[in-house]
Amino acid sequence: MKVEILAGSVSKFGELWDVSPRDLVKGVVLEALFETRLKTGEIEAVYIGNMLSSSLGGQDHLGAFFSEVLGLNVPAMKVEGACASGGLAVHAGILAVTSGLYKNVLVVGIEKMTDHKPEEVAKALMGAGSDEEREAGATFPGLYAMIARAYMKKYGVSEEDLASVAVKNHYHASLNSHAQFRFPVTIEQVMKSSVVSSPLKLLDCSPISDGAAAVILGQGSGVRGQGSVNIIASAVATDSLGVADRSDLTSLQSTVLAAKKAYWQAGIKPSQIDVAEVHDCFTIAEIIAMDDLGFFPRGKSAQFIRRKKTTLGFGYPVVNTSGGLKAAGHPVGATGVKQIVEIYRQLKGVAGKKQVKNAKIGLTHNVGGSGATAVIHILKSDK
Amino acid sequence: MISPVKIWRNQKKIQKILGLEGKILSWTKIYVPPAGFESQAPYVVAIVGLAKGRNYCAQLVEWEEKHLITGQKVKSVLRRTKDPGTEGVIPYGVKFKPI
Repeated sequence: MKVEILAGSVSKFGELWDVSPRDLVKGVVLEALFETRLKTGEIEAVYIGNMLSSSLGGQDHLGAFFSEVLGLNVPAMKVEGACASGGLAVHAGILAVTSGLYKNVLVVGIEKMTDHKPEEVAKALMGAGSDEEREAGATFPGLYAMIARAYMKKYGVSEEDLASVAVKNHYHASLNSHAQFRFPVTIEQVMKSSVVSSPLKLLDCSPISDGAAAVILGQGSGVRGQGSVNIIASAVATDSLGVADRSDLTSLQSTVLAAKKAYWQAGIKPSQIDVAEVHDCFTIAEIIAMDDLGFFPRGKSAQFIRRKKTTLGFGYPVVNTSGGLKAAGHPVGATGVKQIVEIYRQLKGVAGKKQVKNAKIGLTHNVGGSGATAVIHILKSDK
Repeated sequence: MISPVKIWRNQKKIQKILGLEGKILSWTKIYVPPAGFESQAPYVVAIVGLAKGRNYCAQLVEWEEKHLITGQKVKSVLRRTKDPGTEGVIPYGVKFKPI
């Protein structure tokens, strides 16, 4: 499999009260089109990754909504898979290109969350969970907190170990001009932050964010000169909606299954990945992702992260150079597309201050719900 | 508002879960609740391994701090769940109490 990324762009993430979803999308799409030098009319299909337009925004016809904004009359549709909506939209775009039906495909991820009060957002996000979890009054921090407690007990991981993930990702975000939180934090600050859902504290959690991201996919157009970046694997796996229905609380089976497929498609091993964007909706999620993606022996990932093995300038793979969901922000539908853009820029060598030296192969890992959907992409530079 | 029809359908499922014993597999104390649970926060949600059958996720009631440990024995009971608002049907569901 080989689908070329012709362009990628990301908006500023954060509390963007003065920007509408229309303007967010228009901004990232125009920037991406400018990069490819394609005209709007050369886009043959549009896939929109979004979760909450229906429950929070009251807008249910997103394909046409954004076609209108962009002045297009081509096929356009929303792809939804909770927080994995963006990754699934990229997967759908890849299917469209590899089928041969469309040449240039636009994939957009968009979410507008900060217009609503936290209780409403927490309730809307629980749309990604099971009936049973909603009836219990569980929240996503709550579900991941229960996963965290089980993992910490099984592998002897401490709250300070969890905090070290936030410290790393805030450091990376301090180098990212588009991140929501462009400041470093210390383990002490994480430990002292208020409890959201024990043992997870405010600085263990990704924020509520607005933001958009876009990529344009094509096949060997050769529009641009300096070495192309291709998606060489796109794998998806699903699992039970509810955490309680899983036999193991300390691993996400969907990630394990999707990773196995993705490595097989790409013909590579985890040790060959130079840079990765993984789904750190909570600090515990990044630790489990590192286990499940095969980067470190199971149960040992927290130690490696704390020893800076995945921090820029210290070791490989460098993880969440954007700042991750934790510090770059998590506009849920945009996240999966933003991950692709970050790795694309890393492999092009245009990632600025957060550039990973000699990055040739990268991975993105996008999760929906508490692990009910996992989407993994592997990208490779032709350089 | 929760659909009364949905509450009626769920009753059959709830009946099968009531009166069962199990052990806490993991738990959390939720300080930031979703809409409909504001008046209850902070509250404890647990994943319980039922002695017979599957695991179940529900709130813990009638607990003290000493009960908040993995392995604590609990029993499923019927309790009011979320705030139905001014017009909704009062929803009942499964919760666990320590034994």
